[in-house]
Amino acid sequence: MTQFLLRRLVLLLPVLFGITFITFALARILPGDPCYAILGEKATVEQCDAFREREGLNDPILIQFGRYLNDIAHGNFGESLKDGRQVTQIILERLPMTIEVTIGAMFFSTTFGILLGVISAVRRNTAIDVGTMFGANIGVSMPVFWLGLMLAYLFAIVLKDTPFWIPPSGRLSSGITIPPLAETLDLQNLSGLWGTLVTLASYSVTFNALITGNFEVLRDALWHLILPCVAVGTIPLSIIARMTRSSLLEVFGLDYIRTARAKGLRERVVILKHAMRNALLPIVTVVGLSVGGLMSGAVLTETVFALPGVGTQLVSAILSRDYAVVQAFTVIIALIFVFVNLIVDISYVFLDPRVRMQ
Amino acid sequence: MKRKLFALLSLFVLASMVLAACGGAATATEAPVVTEEPAAPPTEAPVVATEPPAPAFEGTSVSAESCDYGGEFKSIEAVDATTVKFTLCYPDPAFLSKVAFAAFAIQDGDYLTEMGGDSGKLSEAPNGTGPYKVAEWVRGDHITFEANPDFWGDAPANQTLIFRWSAEASARLLELQSGTADGIFLPSEDDYETIEADSNLKLYPYETGNIFYIGMANTIPPFDNDKVRQAVAMAINKQQIVDNFYPAGSAVAEQFVPPSFSPGYSSSGDGAKWYTYDPAAAKALLAEAGFPDGFDVTLAYRDVVRVYLPNVNQVAQEIQAQLAEIGVRVTINKMESGPFLESAAAGEQPLYLLGWGMDYPDATNFYDFHFASNATRFGNEWPDLVEEIKAAAQLGDPAERQAHYDEVNRLIKEHVPMIPVAHGTTANAMSAGVGNVVMGPLNENFEQMTTASGQLVWVQSAEPIMLSCGDETDGETLRACEQIYDSLLGYEFGGVAPVPALATAWQPNTDATEWTFTLREGVTFHNGATFDANDVVATYAALWDASNPNHKGNTGVFEYFTGFFAQFLNAPK
Repeated sequence: MTQFLLRRLVLLLPVLFGITFITFALARILPGDPCYAILGEKATVEQCDAFREREGLNDPILIQFGRYLNDIAHGNFGESLKDGRQVTQIILERLPMTIEVTIGAMFFSTTFGILLGVISAVRRNTAIDVGTMFGANIGVSMPVFWLGLMLAYLFAIVLKDTPFWIPPSGRLSSGITIPPLAETLDLQNLSGLWGTLVTLASYSVTFNALITGNFEVLRDALWHLILPCVAVGTIPLSIIARMTRSSLLEVFGLDYIRTARAKGLRERVVILKHAMRNALLPIVTVVGLSVGGLMSGAVLTETVFALPGVGTQLVSAILSRDYAVVQAFTVIIALIFVFVNLIVDISYVFLDPRVRMQ
Repeated sequence: MKRKLFALLSLFVLASMVLAACGGAATATEAPVVTEEPAAPPTEAPVVATEPPAPAFEGTSVSAESCDYGGEFKSIEAVDATTVKFTLCYPDPAFLSKVAFAAFAIQDGDYLTEMGGDSGKLSEAPNGTGPYKVAEWVRGDHITFEANPDFWGDAPANQTLIFRWSAEASARLLELQSGTADGIFLPSEDDYETIEADSNLKLYPYETGNIFYIGMANTIPPFDNDKVRQAVAMAINKQQIVDNFYPAGSAVAEQFVPPSFSPGYSSSGDGAKWYTYDPAAAKALLAEAGFPDGFDVTLAYRDVVRVYLPNVNQVAQEIQAQLAEIGVRVTINKMESGPFLESAAAGEQPLYLLGWGMDYPDATNFYDFHFASNATRFGNEWPDLVEEIKAAAQLGDPAERQAHYDEVNRLIKEHVPMIPVAHGTTANAMSAGVGNVVMGPLNENFEQMTTASGQLVWVQSAEPIMLSCGDETDGETLRACEQIYDSLLGYEFGGVAPVPALATAWQPNTDATEWTFTLREGVTFHNGATFDANDVVATYAALWDASNPNHKGNTGVFEYFTGFFAQFLNAPK
């Protein structure tokens, strides 16, 4: 196990190097000039020349890349070209929002995806099965951006003045606020890893409200999470439902299920204990892979729902050619994706004893 | 295995919580929200028999040795606590309009020094004199402003003002329709009808002071021929473009400046009306110029939506079709914004679409930059045009200036460096429940708007970059700064005229090279410091003098300062 983990972690290094290099190169190859994006379109040629010189953008790209790698090795993602803030600080501010949406969407898509998949498989070739799979096909075909706007329109406008009204955007309702976790718990003086974790937790409004028992904020935060999570989780839900159905149907045809049924076990036990366990392997793979989709979906969803996450920051940074921010966020998203896949690989061992770490 | 895992996980969580609770003393972590520093708890002052005499005011000043450095300022001097004098290197009739701009808001001199002029640090706890104080800036999400109880003007109508942002116009409209916002910036043109049809909402259209023009470079054949440029001018059906591709309220441009610019806009004379649309006459003129069969040309533009050009692709295609009628075969070249701006400014594009939105409400902001600044965007400058523009910019008397601008407009029509096409309008939308709303080209009267709840939520299109604006150019940032800070003067709500703000009166000398401002008394900054003339000197010194320790800002470019006042003092070589 340890050897396997070490080998996977070592293999991460070239992957991360490749991601960093490609992101770095792409940011510079793509058309667009950070000068006009940052200083505005009325910037003079002289002002732009001075800006590029000061930011080191006139240096050869390999020198810039070397400098960037050196900074990263020292835990420094650089400063935003736009406002001069430390990119690490921006990551700490923005990442929790995206994680909250991703976790919420994952919860929504996995719970309902598996449930619908099981129902479909059990009621194979019935109206329920056809209806569920038809719905799944529609779900997987809907663009996240469009779905987000439609959900917001339905729940915020059509259902306005009803108990089903849900706010169309924002993290919390106007006027509702929560003090930083570090301040509430008197942990302002923490530094290093713990300080970073507390800061990260502070920016997670849901976690902060939960830990501090601020249930008014917690309720409001969860209320604001509903539409984004549904919007971003719909496509993975459809995929998971279809995968669960096909996986279960495959298992249902195997001898050991027939044996279980012949033993007189209740159908619920057959499905949940015997069939599901074997069917879970491809489902877990899909769930793991859909994390990437959820992260990229969050970019669009956060824009529609005006959420202060990685997505809105990344879009803003791309539009303003804020290289340092674009690179750092891309690397972070890639890191999360790689680690989630690692966890999925490890989970195979626990789900299926036949799989061994190799 | 499961039990072991669960036990391990539980242990980890417990250990984390214990460590977090115990590890209290190390270095500070950064807080997630930017709030004002809490005021120090009041302490009882010892009773004293007599008050010590107030220290005598020691006025500061900053000056250039000579005007050879190329900038507008000669010196800035705090004459006494409530008087500040600007001495200019050359007359500037637009000086009042310029100092009213939000980028020149007055900072507390001591605070500015304490923060080293760093916009980032100044934004952590902004300290202005404006109607609102910053209560909280949750990065990425919102800014909460609270009414400044010590504001020198009328108390803000709402106790709380909240700025939020969303890049998507449709999402902003959803916020307004759902009631979670009281006002939104720039709804999509396509939604104007929806807003106007909704009795709960109200649309507020306003002019922004802009021009969309078709530029031509007189150094690139065949546009080096005056008749060719004039023929092209006659071939453009501007009315059709405005009718088809601009929102209601937009106007066909007859001159380079909008009609509201006085002095600047000619109400009579040869320059008052542009060439009439006449493709037959245009074709004849083209033949006269030696192009009876027309010619091939590339039309360059950038695919960027602006108020002055909201439907750029369609307009480019329309112009292509209109020019085809006189035999000019146009190839469209859609470029990326940065390279396009650079090549247009360098005079490398024979025919291109561009525009201009005013920075300050004076004709100099339009004419000087485009036609009299050694710029090459229209090829070589025309000496007679440059002479008239510079003459107009040296005069204080509006009537005398207008006489020169009448000639400027006539010369522009004669030389046709560009074709003025349209003045675009835009609109904001508010909930119908918000009262006393005034929208204008330079500001919104948030402090006067009334709501039933005492809280106004405004959704704009982007987050402010900073909350200290000396080195910012972004409109969303400047709007936030306007709530916190005051400049020497302000702009009237809904209009463009400079009105008193931190200065209550001003007096120019006869040739408009000396401007003496009388400052408002009894004004305090949000941190309690008293405002005086030295704050004005300190603020302008930080902007003007590149060697000043407070000349830091955000990017360090201070684009508006050099744009308005030409050059830094002690500018780096």
